[in-house]
Amino acid sequence: MKAKLSILITMMVMLFGTLGFSQISPAKIHASDSQDSTYKRIKERGYITLGTSPDYAPYEFQTTQNGKSTDVGMDISIAKKIAKDLGVKLKIKNMDFDSLLVGLQTHKVDMILAGMNPSPAREKSVDFSNVYYNGGQSILINKKDAGLYKDKSSFVNKKVAAQTGSIQYNLAKKQISGASVTGIEKGTDLILALQTNKVDGVVMEKPSAEAFAANNPSLKVIKGGFKLSGTDSSTAVALPKNSPVLKVHINSTIKEIKDQGLIPQYLKEAGSHLKSNTVNTSMSHYWKFFALGVGYTLLISVCSVFFGFLTGTLLAFMRLSKNKIFHAIAVAYIEFVRGTPLMVQLMFVYFGLGLFVNLPALTAGIIAVSLNSGAYVAEVIRGGINSIDKGQTEAAQSLGLSSRDQMRFVIMPQALKNIWPALGNEFISLIKESSIVSIIGVTDLIYQLKIVQSDTYRGVAPIVVAMVLYFVMTFSLSKVLEHYEGKFNHA
Amino acid sequence: MPKELIKIENLTKKFGENTILKNISAVVNEGDVISVVGPSGAGKSTFLRCITLLEKPSGGNVFLEGDNLVGKSDKELEQVRQKVGMVFQNFNLFPNLSVLQNLTLAPIKVKKTNEAQAKKEALALLEQVGLADKADAYPESLSGGQKQRVAIARALAMKPDVMLFDEPTSALDPEMVGEVLDVMKQLAKDGMTMVVVTHEMGFAKSVSNQVWFMENADIQEKTEPNQFFEQPTTERAQEFLSKILES
Ligand SMILES: Nc1ncnc2c1ncn2[C@@H]1O[C@H](COP(=O)(O)OP(=O)(O)O)[C@@H](O)[C@H]1O
Ligand SMILES: [Mg+2]
Repeated sequence: MKAKLSILITMMVMLFGTLGFSQISPAKIHASDSQDSTYKRIKERGYITLGTSPDYAPYEFQTTQNGKSTDVGMDISIAKKIAKDLGVKLKIKNMDFDSLLVGLQTHKVDMILAGMNPSPAREKSVDFSNVYYNGGQSILINKKDAGLYKDKSSFVNKKVAAQTGSIQYNLAKKQISGASVTGIEKGTDLILALQTNKVDGVVMEKPSAEAFAANNPSLKVIKGGFKLSGTDSSTAVALPKNSPVLKVHINSTIKEIKDQGLIPQYLKEAGSHLKSNTVNTSMSHYWKFFALGVGYTLLISVCSVFFGFLTGTLLAFMRLSKNKIFHAIAVAYIEFVRGTPLMVQLMFVYFGLGLFVNLPALTAGIIAVSLNSGAYVAEVIRGGINSIDKGQTEAAQSLGLSSRDQMRFVIMPQALKNIWPALGNEFISLIKESSIVSIIGVTDLIYQLKIVQSDTYRGVAPIVVAMVLYFVMTFSLSKVLEHYEGKFNHA
Repeated sequence: MPKELIKIENLTKKFGENTILKNISAVVNEGDVISVVGPSGAGKSTFLRCITLLEKPSGGNVFLEGDNLVGKSDKELEQVRQKVGMVFQNFNLFPNLSVLQNLTLAPIKVKKTNEAQAKKEALALLEQVGLADKADAYPESLSGGQKQRVAIARALAMKPDVMLFDEPTSALDPEMVGEVLDVMKQLAKDGMTMVVVTHEMGFAKSVSNQVWFMENADIQEKTEPNQFFEQPTTERAQEFLSKILES
C-alpha cells in the first residue's frame, strides 16, 4: 500500500516536475540576487514554508497551547531559527511523511525538516543541507520482553516494524536477519503495533525511541547494533534543487546551532512539551480536536455532496445528450474517474494542479472529492432517468412542454425518487471516503485521530472515538434521507 | 365545405428495413370523429404518433391547419403539439403530480396561463369527466377508468383543436370501459374533432362518422360506419370483422 503510494508520487513528480520547472524557469532568468528563485520568493513573500509530519517526537509533534494544537519539537525550533536568521516569518504545513518530497518539488513548501535522512535516493530529487543532527538507531520493545531481546541479532523468526520509506525500514530489511519486516506509516501506529503485540520490535531513531519509552512505562529501548554508513542516522534539511543561496543561509544557521550547542537545549524543550502533553490523556480532554475534525469532515462532505451532485447532474445530461462531443466527454470523464483511485486524484489536484494555481489543501480536497463523486452520481442519475417509462416523455411532449420542462417537472422528480436510496448510499460513502484528504494535511477527523494518538501515546481509544463519530454522522445522514424518502412517498 | 384540419400526404414510416406505413394519404375535417380499426400490429399506433411527430415520418407530409409539420424543429413542434391532444392506452399520468397539477402543468408552463385561471379551468374539466372530488388525489390512488378520464381532461386542458386516442379503453377492466366511452361520446357530441384507434366496435358504429380500416401498412378502407359493418368492400375487412364478431 505504502510502497505503491511512493511509486505513484514519484511518477507524479516525474510528470509534473518537468512541467513545473518549465513553468518556473522564467522567474529564474531575471533573478538578480542570484540563480535562486526559491530564495528570492521567500524574501519577497516575507515567509518561509516548512513542510513537516508532526508525529515523530521529539523531532516534531503536536501539543496543545492555549487550546490550539501547535507543532513543537527539535526540528521546529531549528526551523524557527532558520526563518529568524533569514529575516522572514515561518509558516508550517503538515503533511504525510510520504507527501513531503513531492510537496517540496511542487513548491507547496520551501524546506523540509522532518527527521529526514539525506539518502542518495532522495538526493536525486531534492537537495540537502549539512547534517544538523546525528541520532543513532535503536530498537524499541515491550518492557515485559526485556529478557528476550538484546540487539538486532535477537529477532530471528520475529516481527519487526519501521516507518515506511524510512532509513530504519531499509536497515531492518537488510541487517536484521531472519526477521519479517513490516512498514507502517505513522510513528504512533508503530507504537500501537508494538503494544498490541503485532510486532516484537520497532526500529527507530534513538531520540524518538527514548521519547516514546519515557512516556510509556511499558516500553523499553535497546541498542540497535546496526552497521551504519555516513548518512544512515543523520538528519538534514531538504531543499528544492537549485537553491544555492538558501542552502548557504541554512548551512550557516546549522553551523551556529552546532557551535553554540543548541541541539541539547532544543531536545530538552521538546521533552518538556512531551511531559505537559501526557498529563491528561483521557479522550474527553481532547474533545476539541475531535470536534474540529468532525467539523472539517462535515464541511468537506457537505460541499462535496453539493458540487458532486451538480457535476453529476451535468455529466448525466451530457452523457444522455444527442450531441456526440458532450456524450464522448462525459463518457471519458466518468470512466476515467471511476477507473482511478480517489487518492491519486486527490494528489493530482493538490500537487498537479497546484503547480499552476496555488490551491489550499482544503480546497483541493473538496475539489477532488466533488469531481470524484460527480462521476458516480452521474451514473446513478443516468440510471434514474433511463428508468422512467418512455410514455411519460411522450405524454409531456404531446402537451407541448419544452424538453427542459419535461425534464424538470416530469422526469427528474420521478427519477430522483427512484434513485434516492442509491444517491443516499453515495453520499454516505462520501463521508467515509473523504477521510483520504488527511494525507495532504486537511485537518479532518482522521487527521485529528492521528494527532490525538501521537499526543496521548494512546493507540486504540482515539480510534474508537473516531469510529463512533463517523458512525453518528453516517447514521444521522441515513435517517435524514429516510425521512425525505418518506416525504416522496406521500406525493 | 367543412374545414380541413389534418391532411396526410404520402406518409411513409420505416423502422430499419420494415415498412410500417406505406404511402398513406388521408384527411381529417373539423368535427370528424374517425375510428381507426384493424388487427394488432397493423401500424395504427405508429400512424397516430406520426400525426403529432412523436415519430418522425420517413417520407411524406403532415399538415395541421395547412401548416406542414414535417421538417419542423423540436422547438417549433412544441408550439404545434399543444393544438393536438393525445390520450394513451396506458394513461401516462404524471405520478409525481396531483390530479389537479397534472391538468394545470401544461397550461401554466406552455400557455403561460396564470395559476388561478388554470386551476379554475382544470376544476371545470374535472367536473365534466365526473372527477371533481379527486382534484387533490395522486394518480396511484385512482382506478384505471378514473385515470383515463383524468388523462382526457389533461389533454383537454390545452384546448386542442383535435384529440387523438390510442386504444383508450384497452388497458381497462371491462366494468370501467363504459365510463370512459361515455366521456368520449359526450366530447363527440360537443363537436370535438377526434381520431380514435379502438377495438370497441360499438363505439365505432354509433359515435363515429367514418371508419378507417388499417392493415398491411396501409388504410385499406375509409367508409361510413354502417357500410363498414354491414358491407365491407375489401376481403381483409370482412375477415377482420368476422374474427371480431366471433370473439
Ligand atoms: N419503435 C419501433 N421500432 C421498431 N419497430 C416498431 C416500433 N414501433 C412499432 N414497431 C413495429 O411496427 C409495427 C406496427 O406497430 P403499431 O403501430 O404499434 O401497431 P398497432 O398499434 O396497429 O398494433 C409492429 O410490427 C411493431 O413491432
Ligand atoms: Mg397500438
